[in-house]
Amino acid sequence: MPTVSTRRVVITGMGAISPLGVGAAALWQGLREGRSAIGPLRHVDADRLRVKVAAQVPESFDPAAHIDERTLPLLDRTSEFALHAAREAVAQSGVDFAANGLGARTAVIVGTGVGGETTQDEQSRRLYGENAQRAHPLTIVRLMTNASASQISIAWGLRGPAYAVASACASANHAIIQAAQMIRYGMADAAVTGGTEACLTYGALRAWEAMRVLADDTCRPFSANRRGLVLGEGAAIFVLESLEHAQARGATILAELAGTGMSADASDIVMPSAEGAASAMRQALDEAELNPADVDYINAHGTGTPANDVTETRAIRLAFGIHADRLAVSSTKSMHGHALGASGALELVAAIGALRDSVVPPTANLDVVDPACDLDYVPNVAREMPVRAVLSNSFAFGGLNAVLALKRAP
Amino acid sequence: MTATIQQQVFEIIAKQAKIEVATIRPESTLKDLGIASLEAIEMIFDIEEHFNINFPDQQGANFDTDTAQSLVDAVQKALADKTATDEGSK
Repeated sequence: MPTVSTRRVVITGMGAISPLGVGAAALWQGLREGRSAIGPLRHVDADRLRVKVAAQVPESFDPAAHIDERTLPLLDRTSEFALHAAREAVAQSGVDFAANGLGARTAVIVGTGVGGETTQDEQSRRLYGENAQRAHPLTIVRLMTNASASQISIAWGLRGPAYAVASACASANHAIIQAAQMIRYGMADAAVTGGTEACLTYGALRAWEAMRVLADDTCRPFSANRRGLVLGEGAAIFVLESLEHAQARGATILAELAGTGMSADASDIVMPSAEGAASAMRQALDEAELNPADVDYINAHGTGTPANDVTETRAIRLAFGIHADRLAVSSTKSMHGHALGASGALELVAAIGALRDSVVPPTANLDVVDPACDLDYVPNVAREMPVRAVLSNSFAFGGLNAVLALKRAP
Repeated sequence: MTATIQQQVFEIIAKQAKIEVATIRPESTLKDLGIASLEAIEMIFDIEEHFNINFPDQQGANFDTDTAQSLVDAVQKALADKTATDEGSK
């Protein structure tokens, strides 16, 4: 086989909008304080819904305060989140896409589970519920799944490969992996990537209710009294660059995206497989040239469903062997909820925070030990400890697994 | 009345499991009948639609889907709760 030269990939900017507030700093601060943003569902149809709790972006988030008035009418809530998070990430990175033709060498890959769900729901309500004669003329440009990627591309003149990636709850990780691989293999020098989701609509909430996987109180990953997942929303967007590119311009590097792993269970459409998840974790370790003993922390997929938490625990044991007992493992979904196609991106903010601050965020609401979940889940209180390398897991309905391996900035 | 509800529930189970109604016993578990998790959720939906009832969201003491009989019991309880609610002055 011919050898392919590869490049190291680093993260130089991050931005987020999440139930814990506006900005990556607000998200990380909330997580390290063990603060849960899960609360009573705010929704015009809350009276009719059986869903009682969710993790929602604060009402104080005002898109009009952040996005110019000509762009705003073109945006679904997913794109509002993505554009705003991208602005923060680009600003932090200090990168100038207009200089040296970088815009033409920059990719935009954004993950989203369902795309413009709010737009879809509004138009369906008009057409089927109110017998309206016409849909809003901007319906298509708002709801198309690639809208967030396209809006980011337009905002900064990014003319490299740009598109959306969809793999349900693993969308963000798959998108970030795609962007990283483009840089690693020389198709781009930089990328703007991450995930966004805003699908707490009446229709989507009804669909989740029917699936019977939602908790009615809060999200309790790995706890014996867990009652399911809690839906969330938000976005996190990152600026990725090749190591040389970042060093040449003297950028501050947040972390190295050292390895990635992807696999499909090819078994059940909803029940996860430990073997599939373990395979993705092993690939991420291999690509990052990490031994199991080099990893200190895993940000777990940790949805708080009976099926995920036991299977993920088994998967971590399969991939890490005896070192599994020395790992800190936590699910930050206990605090920011399950933002579906954005969740891997929100969790990457947590992984970077852990590496930079040597603090592992806790698993909130873990109060009853489950014998089938027998790892160290850092219950309820963050832990100060050396963090040399981190894995961040995302596993999706459909049996799709995507894992990121991160190292400290070189 | 009870037999009727049981018969209706068993017919829905039989349709989901693609088996003859006569092969279902009250003590049959969904697993015995070859009904996997997602099919069970679909079957619960069919039962809710058929009787116009809502089962509790969480499985547990008051909503046990282990056996055919436990589903019949859950339907009877949901119907009783519904009657109580309808008769109340809500």
